Amino acid sequence: MSRVTSAFVAALITLILGGFLLGLSLTSEGINLVVGPSTPGKITFLFVGVAIVFVLQYFREHVGRFTTHMRSDQRMELPSFLRSSQQQRIWTMFVIIGLLLFPFLSSRGAVDIATLTLIYVMLGLGLNVVVGLAGLLDLGYVGFYAVGAYTYALLNMYFGVSFWVALPIAGGLAALFGFLLGFPVLRLRGDYLAIVTLGFGEIIRILLNNWTDLTGGPNGIARIPKPTLFGLEFSRRPSEEGATTFHEFFGISYSSEYKVIFLYLMALLLVLLTVYVIRRLIRMPIGRAWEALREDEIACRALGLNPTMIKLGAFTIGASFAGFAGSFFAARQGFISPESFTFIESAIILAIVVLGGMGSQLGVILAAIAMTVLPELAREFDEYRMLLFGLMMVLMMIWRPQGLLPMKRPHMELKRD
Amino acid sequence: MKSIVKKTLIGMSVSAALMGTSLAQADIKIALAGPVSGPVAQYGDMQFIGAEMAIEQINKKGGVNGEKLVGIKYDDACDPKQAVAVANKIVNDDIKFVVGHLCSSSTQPATDIYEDEGIVMVTAASTNPDITLQGYQLIFRTIGLDSLQGPVAGRFVADSIKPKRMAVIHDKQQYGEGIATAVKKTVEESGVDVVMFEGITAGDKDFSALVAKLKRNNVDFVYYGGYHPELGLILRQSAELGLDAQFMGPEGVGNKDISAIAGEASEGLLVTLPPSFELDPKNKGLVDAFEKKNQDPSGPFVMPAYAAVQVMADSMKATGSTDAEEVAEYMHKASFTTPIGDVKYDEKGDLTSFNFVVYNWHADGTKSPAK
Amino acid sequence: MSESIYYFLQQIANGLTIGSTYALIAIGYTMVYGIIGMINFAHGEVYMIGTYVAFIALAGLSMLGIDNPFLLIGIALAVSIVVASAYGFSIERVAYRPLRSSKRLIALISAIGMSIFLQNYIRLAQGSRDIAMPSMIKGGFLFGSPEGSHIMISYMQVIIMVTTVLCMVGLTLFITRSRMGRACRACAQDIGMTNLLGINSNNVIAVTFIIGASLAAVAGMLLGLYYGVVNPYIGFIAGLKAFTAAVLGGIGSIPGAMLGGLILGVSESLTGGYLTAEYKDVVAFSLLILILLFMPQGILGKPEVEKI
Repeated sequence: MSRVTSAFVAALITLILGGFLLGLSLTSEGINLVVGPSTPGKITFLFVGVAIVFVLQYFREHVGRFTTHMRSDQRMELPSFLRSSQQQRIWTMFVIIGLLLFPFLSSRGAVDIATLTLIYVMLGLGLNVVVGLAGLLDLGYVGFYAVGAYTYALLNMYFGVSFWVALPIAGGLAALFGFLLGFPVLRLRGDYLAIVTLGFGEIIRILLNNWTDLTGGPNGIARIPKPTLFGLEFSRRPSEEGATTFHEFFGISYSSEYKVIFLYLMALLLVLLTVYVIRRLIRMPIGRAWEALREDEIACRALGLNPTMIKLGAFTIGASFAGFAGSFFAARQGFISPESFTFIESAIILAIVVLGGMGSQLGVILAAIAMTVLPELAREFDEYRMLLFGLMMVLMMIWRPQGLLPMKRPHMELKRD
Repeated sequence: MKSIVKKTLIGMSVSAALMGTSLAQADIKIALAGPVSGPVAQYGDMQFIGAEMAIEQINKKGGVNGEKLVGIKYDDACDPKQAVAVANKIVNDDIKFVVGHLCSSSTQPATDIYEDEGIVMVTAASTNPDITLQGYQLIFRTIGLDSLQGPVAGRFVADSIKPKRMAVIHDKQQYGEGIATAVKKTVEESGVDVVMFEGITAGDKDFSALVAKLKRNNVDFVYYGGYHPELGLILRQSAELGLDAQFMGPEGVGNKDISAIAGEASEGLLVTLPPSFELDPKNKGLVDAFEKKNQDPSGPFVMPAYAAVQVMADSMKATGSTDAEEVAEYMHKASFTTPIGDVKYDEKGDLTSFNFVVYNWHADGTKSPAK
Repeated sequence: MSESIYYFLQQIANGLTIGSTYALIAIGYTMVYGIIGMINFAHGEVYMIGTYVAFIALAGLSMLGIDNPFLLIGIALAVSIVVASAYGFSIERVAYRPLRSSKRLIALISAIGMSIFLQNYIRLAQGSRDIAMPSMIKGGFLFGSPEGSHIMISYMQVIIMVTTVLCMVGLTLFITRSRMGRACRACAQDIGMTNLLGINSNNVIAVTFIIGASLAAVAGMLLGLYYGVVNPYIGFIAGLKAFTAAVLGGIGSIPGAMLGGLILGVSESLTGGYLTAEYKDVVAFSLLILILLFMPQGILGKPEVEKI
């Protein structure tokens, strides 16, 4: 086919794709269904799209050269001042100090968004262990997140358990769920595993929704208390007689901001801990085994590694981080219901991992920040958020499956001067 | 890398602070919280046009205590997670009065924050009874509760229909299950035999198994707690599979689309709805004002949102103050004349009375009062 | 016959109707998986798009004054198949072909991305509300006494089951008898070898996607007429169920997809009929997990040998 014909065919297909769905719109008139031209904006969009496809297809070779360029293994290098490990350490210290000071310098709304971002960072890091390092596609990650959130909410509601006692239990219980699910299904091949975990996540959500006597069903659980500092509450008045609140203990006047700042600092602490633990894990034999398994399962078996146990390790550890994040989410919200734990949430966490570069911690952290902060900055963007997530997942897989900031193995480098 | 984060976040907070100060300090700010984006944005619009109309008309009459009201929209997309973020932003922007949120699941987590921070909140759309059960002082609504609508429907069934074998079906959502439970309780107190009480999955399309089960149980009356898409399909499949029973539903099914889905089968469906405030002759002038702006005053949340603003403004005038606690205290005591009728609050912040009327639905999407 | 047997048979008939449509959609998954070994996660969205196009065509044609139902449905079906095929073809061309040599995980993530993209594209283009269409074919067959116990099967249910069987027979003939069908089977065995023998495997794969999309469009049209409702979210759950059906019957096997669909449909209908409808999805997913655990190759599938 000549270039013109093939460009023409491509444009025609685009017109078929968009013509019906973008160019026409269905509306109900009374009880009848009528169809009419859609908004001028959509129609313009359609023809611009067709024109773009025509041009791209016509200049296909040039475009091809450009995309190969994109696809090549060029990495976004860290700036030079961050390369040596000593400088890295100094910079990390600076950043941590900055993050610690941040809530005192900014407003309550920003601190709250930052807390939410940190929860997503934790989720992203946890899923990264499963998907990025061990190469197991888990589409039901939100199930473990829900387990964590409901563990804290339910323990508190029925037994008055405080946040700090519930936090390890939530992590442990989510890990237990991960273990119990992982044990039978991890023998499955990759893509079956994805669907089974998806089904599992949905089952957890449906059970939470249907088991009204225990979980409150669709009504959810309200009035989940915020964490305390060694038993000091952050409320205006102590919830029970004889208890002391934070501001009374330190003799300062009450401000509701302390509560928000405290939650942020705790989330920050937990994220730093998560980063540290996972960093250590990656360097340990189990971390190496995860990656080896991701690259070649058969070779691993030949070397005497037990794939099921290694996968199970990744699955369980990943799930426990979701459990921690879940109980933080419950504390931040003060109210949870099953609708916060749908498949879309799993997809967003997966998008964070994919965008960040599977396996790369730094990338995942940046991606989590981008995913939560960008929609806050531009609300109009929110309409298109899921559309762009989907598009980005496809394009990333085609052009940069390794992510924006791919993982780098720790390695030694000779100084060159 | 984390410094980038910090910069972004600091940037954000600076811009938020600037937004806060760009308004003249003398104005009384009212936050309008609800979905601007997302799948239920159309309901959010109803709330926004109602509240904005009230603000506009009050300002035209000289404002409150010599100051102008300013409405600021906050988008929660009906997502509980974003509702908390919105509530925190409202605290941040030092706003003391909120109209919203829309979805009960968004309102619920936000109320905690408002009550704590001394902000008066009036929701014009959230009907879940749990919201006002927490002993809050600053939380109000201008709409009836699910638990009020249920008994109205239940009493109507027990008094006028007297079914022999009744089924109560719900969609396992906060709204539907709440109403269905209330209906079941009321009719059982009057001695009606409820032979089936069952949930379905919202968003499901196939109800043939359910319809066969209803037929087998010889059900002659079905109450459905939920929204119109599912009930429409149940009606349609009942007609196809030859189930001969009378159906009834709450205001959530009272949407023209139900007739499009169910066709002839929607004829004679019973629906409990709030009275159509836009048809009340007393509201004639207001309806004209909406129509002049090319807005539809018939949405179920338009007039309640108008009333929400009005109740707060009237209380501010009466107390001569914009202090949240004083205003709330006055709201608990006083009574107000609004487009939704006379408003009076009980100690929980619920309306002491809110009427629901039973309508007969017709296949062409219209309705008429049932006797 | 006693009343409970009538009830049981009624539930079976309802289950077979739903199962038939699962089977039609499942074909798309099973054929693609059989040939290139990937889960086309976006297939459910093609079904959803098929329903939208069918509705647009039906509404448009009846506005033009065509009121013969057979003509109306025939033209709408043709339009819907053409557009859905274009989607199937383009999805493969854009999102999967560049990744054919990559790892399975990469292709699967791309497919999930495509699914999210299409769902939101339709949401933005057509709105997220339910679009409803009045029923066009009314009435049904009644077995037993109209007053006492009986089974009622609507014409629409019969049409769905008959169409499914016809599509299955046609597809089986195509695969076993035609030249293209033979090429498909060859590709399923070994793509590299097929290429060496002078068959353009890219064309074969494109045809596979087009066939899968066409059947999804048929399912979309039928279910659109049966339920009368469409929204952008119906594809996700329908796709998931159909995939479950494909796995249940043994992925890669066409009779398996049919069998899996019917088993799934009947088990859902029985759950709704004898237990409670709210656990329908739990039963479907649990069935999937159990089958995968104990019969990873499905009921009619061949055990897969891992090649090194």
